[in-house]
Amino acid sequence: MINMQQTARVGLFFLLGLALIWVTFETLSGGKVFKDKGYQIVAGFESLKELKEGDDVRMAGVKIGTVASTRLAGRRAEAVLRIDSDVKIKEDATASIVMSGLIGTNYIGVDLGSAGAGDLRPGAEIHTKVTPDINSVMTQLGSLGAKLEDTLGSLGTAMNGNGKGPGLLQKIDKLVSDNGENVTATMANVRQVSEKLNKGEGTLGKLINDPKLHDDLVASVAEIKSTATEARNFVADAQNIVDQVKAGRGTLGALVYDDTTGNNIKVTAANLRSVSDKLARGEGTLGKLINDDSTLRDAQAVMKKANTALDGLGDSGPITAVGIVAKSLF
Amino acid sequence: MAEAPSTTRNPFTHVETPAVGVAVEDLCKSFGTFEVLKHVSFSVAPGEIFVLMGPSGSGKSVLLKHIVGLELPSSGRVTVDNRDAAAEETREQVRMALVFQAGALFNSMTVYDNLALYPREHRIADEAGIREKVMRALQILSLENAAEKFPSELSGGMKKRVAIARALVMEPQLMLYDEPTSELDPVMSATIAEIIATLKDQYRVTTIVVSHDRDLALNISDRVGILMGGELLFLGTPAELRTPTDPRVADFLNPKIDLQNPRFKKLET
Amino acid sequence: MKQLIQILEGLGSTLQLLMRAASYAGTLPRQIGRFVEQCYTIGYTTLPIVAILSFFIGSVLALQSGHAAENFGPKQFIGLLVGLSMAAELGPVMVAVLLAGRVGSAIAAELASMKVYQEIDALETMNIPPARILVLPRLAAILVMMPVLTIIADLVGWFGGAIVAKYTHFISIEPESYFATMRQYMEFRDVWNGLVKAEVFGFVIVLVSCNIGLNTRGGPREIGASVTRAVVVSLILILVLDYFVTKALM
Repeated sequence: MINMQQTARVGLFFLLGLALIWVTFETLSGGKVFKDKGYQIVAGFESLKELKEGDDVRMAGVKIGTVASTRLAGRRAEAVLRIDSDVKIKEDATASIVMSGLIGTNYIGVDLGSAGAGDLRPGAEIHTKVTPDINSVMTQLGSLGAKLEDTLGSLGTAMNGNGKGPGLLQKIDKLVSDNGENVTATMANVRQVSEKLNKGEGTLGKLINDPKLHDDLVASVAEIKSTATEARNFVADAQNIVDQVKAGRGTLGALVYDDTTGNNIKVTAANLRSVSDKLARGEGTLGKLINDDSTLRDAQAVMKKANTALDGLGDSGPITAVGIVAKSLF
Repeated sequence: MAEAPSTTRNPFTHVETPAVGVAVEDLCKSFGTFEVLKHVSFSVAPGEIFVLMGPSGSGKSVLLKHIVGLELPSSGRVTVDNRDAAAEETREQVRMALVFQAGALFNSMTVYDNLALYPREHRIADEAGIREKVMRALQILSLENAAEKFPSELSGGMKKRVAIARALVMEPQLMLYDEPTSELDPVMSATIAEIIATLKDQYRVTTIVVSHDRDLALNISDRVGILMGGELLFLGTPAELRTPTDPRVADFLNPKIDLQNPRFKKLET
Repeated sequence: MKQLIQILEGLGSTLQLLMRAASYAGTLPRQIGRFVEQCYTIGYTTLPIVAILSFFIGSVLALQSGHAAENFGPKQFIGLLVGLSMAAELGPVMVAVLLAGRVGSAIAAELASMKVYQEIDALETMNIPPARILVLPRLAAILVMMPVLTIIADLVGWFGGAIVAKYTHFISIEPESYFATMRQYMEFRDVWNGLVKAEVFGFVIVLVSCNIGLNTRGGPREIGASVTRAVVVSLILILVLDYFVTKALM
C-alpha cells in the first residue's frame, strides 16, 4: 500500500515547505529564533504627544529599537524603549520626540552623544529634551500674530493720536516716564533679538538669513503684499478710531482720559517686558524658535508644506503658516 | 428439527469454539412515524441456518442491522450470545460478519487488501500470516486468481464471493447474509447457496440469511421466518413452509400471475 | 427552527467525530501508509493550482495598488501591501477556499459513496471505526500539509507581485525596493499568524467534509448533495472563522 515514490514526494514536499518557512523567517526576523529582546531604557517626558507603542527609536536616522510601552509615572509620562542589543547609547545622549512630518508618524530620536562618554546601562534613564511639536508652534504663532496685531494697532492709534492732541501727549509722557525703565529694558531685549536675527542665530534668524529659504519667501510675497493691503486698510481704520478717541469714546478714549486705566497699561507693559525677556533667554516655544537651531528643520519642512499649500490653495493666505509669519513680522 | 451442533470450527486454526445463538425479543423499530418492525420475536439456535424471507421493504435488512448493532431498537431487544447487540463491546466479544447485499467491497482496494484489512487493523497476524490466511479464504471460495483485481473489475457473482471470503477472514462465530442471491442468475444463485451451506456444514457457523429466494430457503435452511409488513407471519421448518396456512404466505411463496385481476391494481399504497 | 436544529446537529456530530478521531491518535504511527497517501492527495496534488492562483493574486494586488498609487501615494509601499495581504489574509484564505473546492469535495464524495454503498457499514461490522482509518489520517495530513501549501502560496504571491511591480510601466519598482519595504515593516509574526489561520481552516474543512460525507443517508443522489453541502459549509466556515481567528491572533 505504501508507494515509495509517493512517500518520497510527500517527504520532499514537506521539507520544501519547512525550508521556505525557514527562509521567510530568516528574512523577516533576521534569523533570530527568538525576537531580539535587546535591552530597555526609560525616557521621561512632560508629554508623549502622539507617540505610541511600536513606534521607532532612531539614532541618527537609523532604526535601533522600538517603543516597548508607554506609561504614566507620577507627574510625567515615560516611554520604555527597547534598544537592539548591539547598539550602545552614550550616557550623555539626549532623546526627543520627533515628528516625521505634518501627518507623519512619530519616532524617538536619540542623538549620538559625545564620543568619550560611557555607555548607558540597560534599565537606565536617558536624558530628554522637549521639542515643540508643529501643532503647538502653529497655534502659538497664530495667536501671537493676533496679539501682535492688536498691540501694534493700539500703539499705532496712540501714536497717531500723539501728533494731534496735546492732552494726549501729556498723558503719554507721564506714562512713559512712569514706565521708563520697563520700556528701556524691553527695547534692549528687542534689539538683542533683532541682532540675533541679523546674525542668523536661532531658527527665525536662519529663516531670514538662509538663502535656501529665499525662494520660499519669494513665493509668499504675494501673500505678504495682500497683508500689506490689509495693513493699509487697518491704518485707515485706525484713523477712524483715533477720531473716536478724540471724541472721548471707546476704550482708548477712556484709557487716555481716565487715570485708573493707566495702571492697567503699566501692568501690560510689565508683561510685555517679561515676554521679551523670555524670548531673549530662549524660554517658551517662540523663544526656542528664535534661540534653538533644532527646530529649523521642522520649520523648513513647514515652509515647504506651506508653500505647496499656497500653490494649491491660491489666495487663502491668512490661515497658512507663511501668512501668519508674515503678519507677525509686519 | 435436528440437534444443533454446539461448536463452531475455525476455518483457519480448526479450533472449536462454542457456537453462538441469537434472540430477538419483541423488537420494534420506527423511522419517524413509519413503523418498520412491529413486535418481532424469534430466536436462532447455535449452529443453525436461519433464513428470513419476505418481500422487498418488509424490514428484513433493518432487522439484520439490529443484530450487528448498526441500528438501535426503538423498543425490545436483540441479544447475540446473550449479550446486548446494541452494545459496542458485543462486536468485540462476538465475531460477527455481515455479507452486504451489494458486497460493500472497498472500491479503492484490491481484493487482497479488502480481505487483509480486518486482520491488519486488528493486528491478528504478521504480514506473512495474513497472506496465508487471505489466500486460504480465497482458495475456499475459488478466487485465487482475483487477488490483485479491483472490485470494479469483478462480476456480480464474484463480488458476492469476495464479500463472503472477506467475512470468512474474520473467523466469524455468526455469519449474516443480506440478500446473497439477489441480482444473480439462477446458476450463480445456486452456487452462492451451495457456498453458504458448505461453510455452515464445514465450520458450523451460526448463519442468518435474509433473502426472498424461495429455493435457497427451502434447500439449505434449518428454519425459516417470513416477515411481511414488519410482522413475523411464519416461523418454522422448510417442511412446514411447503404447506402454509396463512394465505399471504402462500401467495408470497407461490405467486400466481393473474392477468385478469392484477395485484398492482389492488395495492393500497 | 428546523434549520437551527440541523445546524446544532451538524455541530454536535462534527465535534463527536473530532473526539472519536482524536481518541485514535495513538494508532497514527501504524497508519503511516494512509497518512502519506492522504498527504499526497491533499498536499502534493493541490500544489499546482495553489501556485497558479496565488501567483495571479499577488500580481493583481500589485497591479491594483500600483494603479491606485499612480497619481498619489508612495509606490514603494506596494511591496509591503502585497506582502502583508498575502501573508495575513489572502494566502491562507485562498488556499483554504481552493482546498474546500478540491479536497473538501473529494473527501465528502468519497466518504458519502462509501456510506451509500455500505462500505462504512462494513467497516463498522468489522469493528474498524471509520473515524480511525478514514478521518484520522486525513486530519493529520492536512495539519502537516496546510502550512506547506500556505507558505508556498505566500511566496509565489510575493514574487508574482514583484514581477508585476517591475515590468508594469506605470509602477516599475525594482524587486530590491519592493522586498526592502516588506523586510523593513513586516515581521515573521505576520506570516506565522497566516500559517496558524490556514491550519485552522484546513482542519475545519477536512473535519466538516468527513462528517458530512459519513452522515450521508439514502441513495447515490445524496452523494452529490453531500458534496455540495460540504463545499458550501466549508466556505461559510472559512469566512466566519477568518474573522474570529484574526481577532484572536491580534
